[in-house]
Amino acid sequence: MVFTSLNFLLFFPLVALLYYISPKKWRWVTLLVASFFFYINIKPVYVLLLIGVTCSTYVFTILISNARDDSRRTLYLVLNIILVLLPLFFFKYFSTINTIMIRLLENWSLHWPLPEIKYMLPLGISFYTFMAIGYSIDVYNEELDAERNLGLVALFISFFPLILSGPIERAKNMLPQFRDYRPINYENVTAGLKLMVWGYFMKLVVADRIGIYVDLVYGDISTQNGSSLIIAAVLYPFQVYADLGGYSLIAIGTARVMGLDVIQNFKRPFFSTSMAEFWRRWHISLISWLTDYVYTPLSFRFRKYKIWGIVIALMLTFLVSGIWHGAALTFVIWGLMQGTFLSLEAVTNKKRTSFEQKYNLSANKIYHLAWMIITFVLFASSQIFGRAATIDDALLVYRRILTETGSPYLDLTTLLYSFIGILIILLKDFKDEYFQGKMSFFSNSRAWIRYSAYLTIIFIILLFGVFKGNSFIYFQF
Amino acid sequence: MERAVIINKLSDVFRKVFNNDEIELRDDLTANHIDNWDSLSHMILVTEIERTFCIKFKLKELNKMRNVGEMIEMIGQKV
Repeated sequence: MVFTSLNFLLFFPLVALLYYISPKKWRWVTLLVASFFFYINIKPVYVLLLIGVTCSTYVFTILISNARDDSRRTLYLVLNIILVLLPLFFFKYFSTINTIMIRLLENWSLHWPLPEIKYMLPLGISFYTFMAIGYSIDVYNEELDAERNLGLVALFISFFPLILSGPIERAKNMLPQFRDYRPINYENVTAGLKLMVWGYFMKLVVADRIGIYVDLVYGDISTQNGSSLIIAAVLYPFQVYADLGGYSLIAIGTARVMGLDVIQNFKRPFFSTSMAEFWRRWHISLISWLTDYVYTPLSFRFRKYKIWGIVIALMLTFLVSGIWHGAALTFVIWGLMQGTFLSLEAVTNKKRTSFEQKYNLSANKIYHLAWMIITFVLFASSQIFGRAATIDDALLVYRRILTETGSPYLDLTTLLYSFIGILIILLKDFKDEYFQGKMSFFSNSRAWIRYSAYLTIIFIILLFGVFKGNSFIYFQF
Repeated sequence: MERAVIINKLSDVFRKVFNNDEIELRDDLTANHIDNWDSLSHMILVTEIERTFCIKFKLKELNKMRNVGEMIEMIGQKV
C-alpha cells in the first residue's frame, strides 16, 4: 500500500478514526496494528525482517542500559549494529558484491562458488534500519533511556507514515509522543490535511509529470543530444524534490492528523547560497542522522588534523550517504562529489567570509542570487550520477551536454505542465522564505479564500495529476 | 580558573574561529545565533578550545553541550 493508492485513501481515515476512538491507554496499539497491516500489505514475508530488527534493537538497548562497564556497553552496541545491518547488507549489497567478485575472479580463471542472487529490496529497509541504529546509539550515549515496552519500540521502527521513505525519525522525538495521550485537535487535523494535499500536488502533478520527460531522456541516452540532456539534468533535481519532498509532506501530514509531530525533511533547498546550506535544507532527516552518527564521531576522531580532519570526515560521511543510496559506483561518485563540494567550501570558507565583509556583499541580492544559481548547477550536475544507470552513461551525458547541441526533444505538453508545476512550487517556497506568514491561501483568515484554495488544488491534482505507475523514487533506496 | 577569565579567553576563540570581532558570549548562546556556526566549523571551534585551555573533551561531553553556558561549565570542570 503506497500513499498514492486508493487503498491508502480508505485505510488512512479508518486508522485515524480508530486511533481517536481507541481508549487512550491503547492508542499506540491501534497504530502498531495499523503499521504492521500497512507493511504486510506490501509483501508479507518481509515483515519477518522488521520483527528481527525490532527484537534485536529492543534486547540490545536494554542490555546497553543495564551494563555496568563501558566495554560491555560498546560490545552490545556493536553487536546490535551488525545484526541490524545484516539484512540491509544482504538485500542491498550482497548481489552487487557477489557479481563484482564473480567477474573479478573469472578474469583470473577462478570460479566463484556462490550463485548470482537477485532479491527484491524490502521496501523501507534502509530507512527503518537507520532509525533502529540511531535509537541504539542514543541509548548508548545516554541521551534517552532504553524503552522497556517492546510494542512501543516496534511502533517506532514500523510507524506506517515513515516506514517506506522516512523522514528518518529519532526515538527521543517519537517515543514520548506515542506514550502521550493526544486528544483530537481541529488545528492538527486541518494542518495535517493541508500538508497532505500539498504533498499530493508535488508528487502527482509535478514530480510524476517531470518524470515522463526525464525517464524518456535517461531511458535511452545514446539517442539524445546535449540539449535534451541538459533539460533533463535541470529538471531532475526538481523531480526528486517534488517526489521525496511530496512524499515527506504526506507522511508528516498523516502523522499530524493524529497529533504527532514529525521532523521536517526539506526546507526550501533551492534558495541555498552554498552547498553546506543546501545540505542543511535537503533531505534533512538523513543528513542530520549522518551528521550525528557518522560525521561528528569521525570529525572528532580526526580533529587533530584541523581542517583536513573535517575534509576526511566529510568525504567519508558522503561516501556512506552514496552507498546508502545504492550499491552502485554511480552513487559512490555522487557521494564523493558532495564531499568534495563541501570540503572545498570548508577550506575556502574564511576567504569567502572576508571577501563578503570587504565588499559588503552579505545584503547584496544579486550576489545571493548568483550563489543560488551556482549551488543549483553544482547539485544538478552531481545528480547526473544520481540518475544515470551506469558511470559510462553519466560520462556520456556530460560529454554530450558540453559538446553536442542541436534541437532538443520537445514533448511540449509535458514540459509546459512541468515548468508551470515547478514555478508554482518555487513561488510558494519564495513566499515561505521571504514573506513567512503573508499571502497565505491555505491559512488565510477569510474562509472563502481558504476553501477556494483547497478546491483549486484538489481540482488541479485531479485534472493534471499523473495517475499511472506512481512509485516513489526513494522506494529503490 | 575563574568564570570571567574563561569567558574572556573563550570569546577570543569564538572571534577568531568565526572571523567576527563583534561576538559577545552569553550563556544561552547557541549555533543558531552565530553566522557560520555549523557542524563543519563546530569541530574547528572544539579543537581551538582544547588547544587554548590545554584540555581534551570526550565525544559524549560534546554531544551533551546545548549552549555556551554549558560549554563554559564543562571547560571550568576541566581546567
